[in-house]
Amino acid sequence: MIGRQLRDFAVVAVLALIIATAAFVAVRNNELAARQIALAERAAAALRDHAELPPTVNAVIVSAATPSPRHPFLRKRQVLVGDRWQPLQDKLLYDAAMRFDREGAVSELLGDASGRALVARCTVDTRPCPRIAVALTSPARPAPYPFLVIIGVLGLGTALAAAGALLGPVARRGGLFAGAGALAVPALLWHAPVAATVILLLGAGVALAQQAALTDRIAAAMIKSRVALSFLTPAATAMFVLVAAPFAIGILLGFHDHHHGTWTFVGLSNFSEILSGGGHSLDDPLNFWFILGVTVLWTVANIVLHVTIGVALALALSRKWLVGRGVFRMLLILPWAIPNYITALIWHGMFEGEYGAINSLLRLFGLSDVSWFSSWATAFSADVIANTWLGFPFMMVVALGALETISPSLYEAASVDGANAWQRFRHITLPHLRPALGPAVALGSIWTFNMFNIIYLVSRGKPGNATNILVTDAYRWAFERGERYGMAAAYATIIFLILLVWTVFGTRMVRREEA
Amino acid sequence: MSARRPHLATMIGAYAGIALLVAIVLYPVMLVCKKAFEPGRNFALSASPLPHSLTTAHFHELFTARGGHGELLFLRATLNSVLIAGATTVVGVVLSCTAAYALSQFRFPGRKLGLTAFLVVQMFPATMLLLPLYVILDKLALLNSVAGLVLVYSTTAIPFCVWTLKGYFDTLPRELAEAARMDGASPWLIFRRILLPLARPGIAITALFSFMTAWNEFIMASTFMTDESRYTLPVLIQQSVGQHTADYGLFAAGAVIASVPVMIAFYALQKYLVGGLTAGAVKG
Repeated sequence: MIGRQLRDFAVVAVLALIIATAAFVAVRNNELAARQIALAERAAAALRDHAELPPTVNAVIVSAATPSPRHPFLRKRQVLVGDRWQPLQDKLLYDAAMRFDREGAVSELLGDASGRALVARCTVDTRPCPRIAVALTSPARPAPYPFLVIIGVLGLGTALAAAGALLGPVARRGGLFAGAGALAVPALLWHAPVAATVILLLGAGVALAQQAALTDRIAAAMIKSRVALSFLTPAATAMFVLVAAPFAIGILLGFHDHHHGTWTFVGLSNFSEILSGGGHSLDDPLNFWFILGVTVLWTVANIVLHVTIGVALALALSRKWLVGRGVFRMLLILPWAIPNYITALIWHGMFEGEYGAINSLLRLFGLSDVSWFSSWATAFSADVIANTWLGFPFMMVVALGALETISPSLYEAASVDGANAWQRFRHITLPHLRPALGPAVALGSIWTFNMFNIIYLVSRGKPGNATNILVTDAYRWAFERGERYGMAAAYATIIFLILLVWTVFGTRMVRREEA
Repeated sequence: MSARRPHLATMIGAYAGIALLVAIVLYPVMLVCKKAFEPGRNFALSASPLPHSLTTAHFHELFTARGGHGELLFLRATLNSVLIAGATTVVGVVLSCTAAYALSQFRFPGRKLGLTAFLVVQMFPATMLLLPLYVILDKLALLNSVAGLVLVYSTTAIPFCVWTLKGYFDTLPRELAEAARMDGASPWLIFRRILLPLARPGIAITALFSFMTAWNEFIMASTFMTDESRYTLPVLIQQSVGQHTADYGLFAAGAVIASVPVMIAFYALQKYLVGGLTAGAVKG
């Protein structure tokens, strides 16, 4: 009894420790950032008011940038030492002043893990600022990991769980829960109520599972198939560390707002901003529903074209009288073999500009030029054309494979019975194509839904973001719109939910067709 | 399909349709090959797919271009790509072999869940994990490092390898493992001495595919590698036609060199790829 109790407690303890440690690291890093930034801000304010500077802060007044007399493209800044201006040498301070001119007030913890905070403020009210106060704190280390607290709490929890097990079955579950409670205490002390709640819920969950004898059954099953599980361990561990953990972190990030290196919890506001359209009207390219519409249209248009062209070519290539079938097949799958970022860049080059290859071709046929990336319809068509070029070979190959399984005698029998070409296609070819094309369409639609490279490299969202799809827009939130990581993470979560619904729905559809 | 000769009109129609599609497929490829050997930076000043004069200047420029630290950019990027794709392949195949064996040869509770998990992870876009991975690698100071990008690529390489290798283990005769088990061989011995040697062709194909995937990956590499000396080939090639300066001659030369080995591998292996992809989708 006590052995099994300790086993269950060990599971709770390991998970609780991971959660508590993550909470501790997050809390102490935030505290350090807040403390250091406040210190640097105090120093910047002291510079402005000519007050005494706090010690351990390197704070200076930096001038506006002036072109260098010898190389006008180089810009120089001065630093005020006493009451004299001297050339500024420190690159960190120079960059801070640069950023101030570009983005306004700067306050952040440097990303080099040194614990230094950097603040830039203007000391006067004129713009561009002639005297920028830049403050840089000295390095600081966050609080050390409290090993003693952890060991103490683990001991306490183990004792509680073991004592419960000795008293009887009801006390056993109570002991387990109390033990988990002991582990939640430090998280509470570190001002991480969410982590403490999660640990408590975990304890309650395992206690309930124990009541239903679930923990015993799982343990027995694991022992029974321990060989298979041990073979599975390397890949499963890697997947847990590389996929499950980042995935969970990604979902958590969606509930936060990111601004210059500091994260603040904002609850559901990212999601409500996205789903309400963020104050943009429905025909505005920044509105989520507009982008979703473009994405759906993009996916449907591509899949219809890929399947139609692919099946038509497969039907033609499957004719035995066609000379050179092998060569044609080889040539037609060429787009699939080329890396798709290269395909995208080629098509971008072909559509771009007055002298692009496509416009030259149009002129050759006596048509007038099209400025492909300046209107939505033409830019979207350019994307669809490029993606169809690279996407139809997959459908063609799948369809060819399915057509090969049809026995010629079926067609002969149908001809003898007087079936015309359409009836033969409708009643023989189509039913044979369906089981192969179903999964291919499911897979292809997910690929197309997520076809980042084509959108990002062919139309590049032009004109004015109107040809973005969901994945490219999520990317732009993170890396091209002032590091709005929280928004990007919320976007990714929404994309995930859409794909999840689509996959479940899609596989159901495929299964039903197979049945 | 029926072997008797059809109407002349059908034949002409089929040939014309196929010829048109072949022309559309070949045209962009020919334009790039033309550009790689034709002088000038602009992509196409005429619609003709044939060059008006020949030069190897673009290749010369590509191989001699130097970065900020005097390194040869193209060779450096090629080396980075080979290293990263190679390491990803090794990590993927080594970690997946045993898992694929377990999922193929054993029946245990949670097997179906595991298979679905490995499949679903492959279906969801890399861009889903891009942001959290970026934030984590930033914290760990692994941006701009080969190791960081290998970790990122492993998120897709491992599930891919598990599924393809599992498919290959499924095709091996079960009797061999049964007989060895009768003789008292341990599961590890059976795996190590019997199934792994038999699965060698499958492992080679899987390895080549994961190498190609990592070799062709663009967006993760361009996000995680911002230092010129850490660029992989796709990033370097994309940079040559970036926002500010577009040199399509350089791009075309790079594209030809980066694509040709992949295309050869693709043609050699394509029948395995199609089978593996659709089998995975059906079983999911």
